[in-house]
Amino acid sequence: MSPNIPAIEVTGLHKRFGQTTALDGLDLRVDQGTVAGFLGPNGSGKSTTIRILLGLLRSDGGTATLLGGDPWQDAVELHRRLAYVPGDVSLWPNLTGGQAIDILSRLRGGVDNAKRDDLLERFELDPTKKARSYSKGNRQKVALVAGLASNAELLVLDEPTSGLDPLMEEVFTDCIREVKAEGRSVLLSSHIFAEVEKLCDTVTIIREGQTVESGRLDELRHLHRTTVSVVLDRDASVLASVPGVNDLVADGAKATFTVGEAELGGVLAAVSAYSPHQLVSSPPSLEDLFLRHYGGVSKDAGTAPVQTAGVR
Amino acid sequence: MTVAAPRLHAAAASSAAGTLAGFGLSVRFILRRNWLRLLIWAAVLAVMIPIVYTSQQATFPTQAARNAYANVANTPAIAAMTGLPYAAGSLGGILVIKIWMTLAVALGLASIFLVTRNGRADEEAGRTELLRGSALGRHAFSLANYAVVGGLSVVTGLLISLLALSDKLPAAGSWVLGGSIAGVGLAFVGIAALCGQLSSTSRGANSLGVAVLAVFYLIRAMADVNAHDTNVTALSWFSPIGWGQNMRSYAQDTWWPFLALLALAAAGCVLALRIETRRDLGMGLVPARRGPARATAFLASPLGLSLRLQRATLISWLFGAVVAGLFFGSVAKAMTTVLDPSNAVAKAFLGGSHDMLNGILGTFVLFNAMLAGAFALQSLSGARAEESGGRLESQLAGSLARTRWIGAHIAVAGAGSAVMLLLSGWLTGISSDGAATGTAMAGAAFAYWPAVLLMMGVLLFLHGFLPRLSVSLSWAVYGISVVVAMFGPLFSLSETAIRSTPFGAIPRLPADDFTLLPLVVLTAIAVVLAVLGIRRFGSRDIMPE
Repeated sequence: MSPNIPAIEVTGLHKRFGQTTALDGLDLRVDQGTVAGFLGPNGSGKSTTIRILLGLLRSDGGTATLLGGDPWQDAVELHRRLAYVPGDVSLWPNLTGGQAIDILSRLRGGVDNAKRDDLLERFELDPTKKARSYSKGNRQKVALVAGLASNAELLVLDEPTSGLDPLMEEVFTDCIREVKAEGRSVLLSSHIFAEVEKLCDTVTIIREGQTVESGRLDELRHLHRTTVSVVLDRDASVLASVPGVNDLVADGAKATFTVGEAELGGVLAAVSAYSPHQLVSSPPSLEDLFLRHYGGVSKDAGTAPVQTAGVR
Repeated sequence: MTVAAPRLHAAAASSAAGTLAGFGLSVRFILRRNWLRLLIWAAVLAVMIPIVYTSQQATFPTQAARNAYANVANTPAIAAMTGLPYAAGSLGGILVIKIWMTLAVALGLASIFLVTRNGRADEEAGRTELLRGSALGRHAFSLANYAVVGGLSVVTGLLISLLALSDKLPAAGSWVLGGSIAGVGLAFVGIAALCGQLSSTSRGANSLGVAVLAVFYLIRAMADVNAHDTNVTALSWFSPIGWGQNMRSYAQDTWWPFLALLALAAAGCVLALRIETRRDLGMGLVPARRGPARATAFLASPLGLSLRLQRATLISWLFGAVVAGLFFGSVAKAMTTVLDPSNAVAKAFLGGSHDMLNGILGTFVLFNAMLAGAFALQSLSGARAEESGGRLESQLAGSLARTRWIGAHIAVAGAGSAVMLLLSGWLTGISSDGAATGTAMAGAAFAYWPAVLLMMGVLLFLHGFLPRLSVSLSWAVYGISVVVAMFGPLFSLSETAIRSTPFGAIPRLPADDFTLLPLVVLTAIAVVLAVLGIRRFGSRDIMPE
């Protein structure tokens, strides 16, 4: 496949279930060799998009291309080249985890035994137990081992770490870094901001079936303000008069506010005049970006100049 | 319970009231979750009494007919299947022969399944943990479970007695009838309570309970087959089902075995609660079995997986077909002496045949066909279960075409039903004491395969167009087809109407002459329905529940 064809390209995707509209013109792009984060709350359409990409659902409009092919028409051939890990894993209760891993792997065309053994050890999964006795986390591990043991060029992961403990999340992070180092592509739908920030090159945030923000994570950060916390030698409400200070929350000598990239120098110079005892600045987090679109704190940016502490 | 500190704590507060705190609440909770199930079990079991009583009254209308029956009733087959016919000359005694064993075994199974459902299955799913975390005594929920399921036996027994009384059967015998069935049900509450503590999975608990029931059934079957005349043998006292039988309603009306059944129920529950005190939540005394770490290449193929998923279904239905085939063959000749051909029910049973033996054989072949049809539907419903359970999505995310996946399920249901028909037909023939040959009966049974295929075609069509309703609608179609083929004449349905239903259309060999046309027509309809359904399935959304 030529390197400039994206692994996934979705434009204006529509999907209805009876009266409800699940997707309402969704766009999504995953370039080859990148890890793409796919963020949105429950019910926003992430899983529906992924099911359309896997040829399990038929779209009602828009275009979707997967590895250069049509996800519905070419499903059988395309699926040899991708691995899928669902967020809610159903297994056959009376088969063992090891059997389920082999069945899912061989349906894709084969299993890399060395990788399989290595992953079983890293995820600390006992493959001889019947799936009936597995916890949610262990069922998730079965799907992860089956997906990651493949050499597929595209991994489609739908909230793959739900139910995993923090140590296992760390193992998962390492695995995805290895996949990326091998030049393979990943679509990672997730709830966990830290996970997406650690792993993803690009992010797509969706809301009610529409894309509301997408791009490279570092570029998105530029568009948003840095958060600064300070402790001054006087009442911090004096900062309200400093140009460039937004979202000010003052509590005695302590204050928190946001600053745009361009005004950062001027604001810092003004703050230094009030002899700060402490100053912490943090770049906009993915959580801030996300909450901006979902009625969180950042949504009112610039409209409420001074708030008293406690209101917040 | 292995943690030392909470245990000491619990010991200090371990009054009986402490471990049973919340008992009343648990009873209400279990009733609320199970009331419909309980109601259906009680109603279906109890209503069998008037239904069977009425049909037996019609079959044996006079004392002379009953006396004639009593002379031939004590066959090894009857003794093995339903017990010793100790009072075959009275209507009450005939009622016991026809229905007592079915009701006792069914109530035993109900006890096992319900105790497991509210006990081990809840614990396995983690719901018990949630309840125990609140102010609920350690034994409150388990005891409530045993009490509610035990209540089902008591209520069912009472209903049976009252319905028998309302049919003007002798009072003493009617009370013993209900009491003996309730007693067996209660005994299995105790057995199921123990199974739920021993096994760590609900499936294990159910299998263990059913295995114990099967062993007790076989013990009493051996005892009854080896009995002299209709005298109770010592061996039958080694089975609680035997205790219930030996209460002998409508004859000796003995009550004391009922006390033994109650004692077994109480002992089982007490022992179960003692084990519950000693073990950790979620664990059983028998550890969960491990399995292979790798799948064979065959298991990983769609056909292999479908066959593996259907393994238990296949084995149990094939076993059922073997038992049914042998039973039908062994009673065919005896039935010709029992049935009165001028009777309406008997006539319906025999179809239009004038030759009674061939009519009976033809009816048995129809039974075999219905079993095969039910197997085919249950087996093929496994495909929808894979979809609704969310397991199909992961398979189709692999390089697997939808047609190939459904094809594997069709192959198992189709081939399995063909084997069932041939096997049960052949066994009917060879065990018929020369009434028919094995080959002829295998052929007669196999003639019904197109009707079975049509049932599969209906399910496949609905699976394409109405997946969520497909299973229940197909069973409805099956049920109506079966009832019309069996009892059509009783409802005064015309020959043409009966001939236009799947099971009615097939020539009922060996009573009827063989005609190929209905077989070809049914197969053609089945193929058309299947093709339409599969095509639709190939172009629709995958719909998990």
